[in-house]
Amino acid sequence: MASRPTVSIRSATGEASGSLPLPAVLTAPIRLDVVQQVHKSIAKNRRQPYAVSEKAGHQTSAESWGTGRAVARIPRVGGGGTHRSGQAAFGNMCRGGRMFAPTKTWRKWHVKVNQGQRRFAVVSALAASALPSLVLARGHRIEGTEEIPLVVSSGVESLNKTKEAVTLLKAINAYTDVTKVSNSRKYRAGKGKMRGRRYRQRRGPLIVYNEDNGIVKAFRNLPGVEVVNVRRLNLLQLAPGGHLGRFVIWTEGAFGLLDEVFGTFDQASVHKKDFTLPTSKITNPDVTGIINSSVIQAVVRPANSKVTKRPWTQHKNPLNNKGVLFRLNPYAKTIRRQELLKQERIKAKKAKKPKTPSSAGKEFLGTLFAP
Amino acid sequence: MSRDLEWLLIRKYNSNVVKRLPAGPLFSKEAGNLLNIHSHKYSGLANSKTITIQEDKGVIQIVTRKPKALPHAVSSGVAKSSLRNRTGPRRALGATSKQFKSGYRPDLRRAALARTSALLSSQKEKKPRPVKKPRGKKAVAVDST
Repeated sequence: MASRPTVSIRSATGEASGSLPLPAVLTAPIRLDVVQQVHKSIAKNRRQPYAVSEKAGHQTSAESWGTGRAVARIPRVGGGGTHRSGQAAFGNMCRGGRMFAPTKTWRKWHVKVNQGQRRFAVVSALAASALPSLVLARGHRIEGTEEIPLVVSSGVESLNKTKEAVTLLKAINAYTDVTKVSNSRKYRAGKGKMRGRRYRQRRGPLIVYNEDNGIVKAFRNLPGVEVVNVRRLNLLQLAPGGHLGRFVIWTEGAFGLLDEVFGTFDQASVHKKDFTLPTSKITNPDVTGIINSSVIQAVVRPANSKVTKRPWTQHKNPLNNKGVLFRLNPYAKTIRRQELLKQERIKAKKAKKPKTPSSAGKEFLGTLFAP
Repeated sequence: MSRDLEWLLIRKYNSNVVKRLPAGPLFSKEAGNLLNIHSHKYSGLANSKTITIQEDKGVIQIVTRKPKALPHAVSSGVAKSSLRNRTGPRRALGATSKQFKSGYRPDLRRAALARTSALLSSQKEKKPRPVKKPRGKKAVAVDST
């Protein structure tokens, strides 16, 4: 990195006034898998135990009738005078019986996540929140904002009224995201309605401040907006649902404090013990760019010609193909020749000699030509 | 941050993906995706050069991402040009294809032209249908009055 990129600070009217260098956290490696896994575990830490009653399905004195009465040997309710008597009890397949493997309050509700992993996940989520494409991909309406990360001047921390907060959000074109949240408010399906989760809605921008001079109260009633201190950034807020790219609005003080809270790549954090930022496996992730660069292309061997040998040729049977046979066994040629000659000789021998007429005998001729 | 890596981060899950059928095509509804197909090539998010063709109150706009803009720039990183209202198809398609003459994403040319022309045809006012002539019984009723 030749020069550290800077991020401009927006005044209350939305104009750029001054700038800050980009904190090192926002260039940390983004590990989706780490964020998802850590989120999955720490999201479990808010659960409260539940279980069915210990006694459920067991409040009867049923006993099995044993064999010999032509009914199943399941425990049955004793007595008479009511429909319940004689009915099966206890089993998970019985009406009025207990459930299979009744839930217990001592289930393992909470999951411990190593501190290093938690910090890694927060850092990853922060880095993702500084990339416009990832924030857009999460569904935040940030098309109107000038740049991401969005930093506002420190005067915002002393806003007291929600009306002022709305004016500010409108000035920096972030109010569309709040509008999206209020339009998304829907009745929750199911039992959650009666358990204090009546509505469900999207998440809006996350406001990160350094010092609360009224900013929390100014923003807290806006739908979907959450306000958090820069020292207490939380993965559940930075990557809700384990999805990267929350829209974060920083105050100038908070943004300037990031290098101190999370440290840099070569300087330990002040607030977190023994923590320096994780480094990427490769410093330049643009691998295609590296491969196509003139530096690499100058040293690599030129590409081979595209003509390739056939990977395999058709197998020829030496018993049928003479050429292949003679290559394998040169003596075969001699054998075959000898064989042919032999055949010819036999043939010649067997051939019947044409009868040559012998001259007639003297005696015969004497009688033939007798006068 | 390379665009390849960005694509890997948004490929599996993002808010724009449309999966209607389990085995069906994968669509994406983000702005800047000319074919609305969920792929790296057509993605409006994970490319440093993208073309958005959109309609804003009857005006067709061609929005391109400036190739030299900083990665953090959002609205300041795009160039917007709009076609005059009631521009005809020849001029509109010419203005769209002009973008590609300088070698800006030539692979998207066909898709961009198709989108412009689709927007144009949607702007056309529909011809009023000719009034149906009454036939059969109705015609007799009309005649008698």
